[in-house]
Amino acid sequence: MELALETPRLRAVPAERVPAPPVETTDADLLVRIADRDREAFDVLYHRYVRSMFGLALRRLRDRQRAEDAVQETFAAVWRSAASYRPERGPAAPWLYAIARNAIVDRFRTQIDTAGEVPEIVSADPGPADAAETSFVSWRVHRALETLPPREREVVELAYWSGLSQSEVAEYLHIPLGTVKTRTRSALARLADVLEGELS
Amino acid sequence: MPRFDDLIEADVPDAERSRLQHVHDLLVAAGPPPELSPRLEAGPTLAMTLSRPAKPRGRRIALLAATIAILAVAFVLGYVAGNRGGGLASAQTTMQLSGTHAAPAALAALKILPADTSGNWPMKLTATGLPKLGRDGYYEVFLVRNGKIYAPCGSFISKGNTRSIDVTLNAPYDLQPNDTWIVTKQKRGDRKAGTVVLRPTT
Repeated sequence: MELALETPRLRAVPAERVPAPPVETTDADLLVRIADRDREAFDVLYHRYVRSMFGLALRRLRDRQRAEDAVQETFAAVWRSAASYRPERGPAAPWLYAIARNAIVDRFRTQIDTAGEVPEIVSADPGPADAAETSFVSWRVHRALETLPPREREVVELAYWSGLSQSEVAEYLHIPLGTVKTRTRSALARLADVLEGELS
Repeated sequence: MPRFDDLIEADVPDAERSRLQHVHDLLVAAGPPPELSPRLEAGPTLAMTLSRPAKPRGRRIALLAATIAILAVAFVLGYVAGNRGGGLASAQTTMQLSGTHAAPAALAALKILPADTSGNWPMKLTATGLPKLGRDGYYEVFLVRNGKIYAPCGSFISKGNTRSIDVTLNAPYDLQPNDTWIVTKQKRGDRKAGTVVLRPTT
């Protein structure tokens, strides 16, 4: 039986992505190289983090244009400040998160400064502390997704955010159901390795 | 959202199952990653890497003092040179530009000619390897100052063939010694600088 599937509304996993970051190159290594004005390292770091930073900015600013601007400013700040990162003080991810958050807060202030009216209804959105916690989790999860091999990431994205069942994912990708299950389990295990310790 | 039990077989050991369940919960909480715009997908822009590294505070103060001193000397020298009818405005320089990942085969030379008496700085850009853009596309040359796009200097199109393009541009601004230029690709109606295709050779 053939399933009639619509193309899921997901980003395609590109066959060729911009320089696949070598696994052994840590974010800290990249920042050290960026401090020496290494554009190639900057390019690698950019592609590792651009999606999670954009997600962070989008959640906070709720405006794609402003979020894009905040991401641009974040990376400009990373380029400017890489020399101030000290690997012995801790991993690079929280340092990068702090830079991103500052750039987004700056954008947010501008937004408030130019906003016309104060809303009359109290927002049901989570408070600042909850929002910050959720943002950090999402940021790290999206960043961790970027570390997966493309085949595994594709399966995870289809399984979680396209509304397809695993059988439908298998049909869509023209691979056996068993392969979908293997890749899903492998992907979750890898994500657990990446995220372990950071979020517990 | 999928149910964890539908994704992971029942035969997975408990400890492993618990780890995977935690990741599953995080994925559900995080939601899908956002779709990137072409602008972000294209990679770092030149403007990002033109910003200068932050300097330690003590060094900044020393630099500030030195800068004030240099400016004072420059002012005096400029005043003298200006009164002689020469100086910066008579300079001529050529800047080499190379293609970014958006136009890897592109190369260009930007010749900045001496300013006219009104303060316009004519420039001649010779470029090769720039691809032909879509119907509404064109290239724009921007003056970059202090790491930020400062002003447009002119636009042009490319047929995408192997012959070089020669265009005459103009910078109707007071140029400064550290000014530089980039070339971006644009679409009609764009209000902001697009993807950088040529940047100064470093």
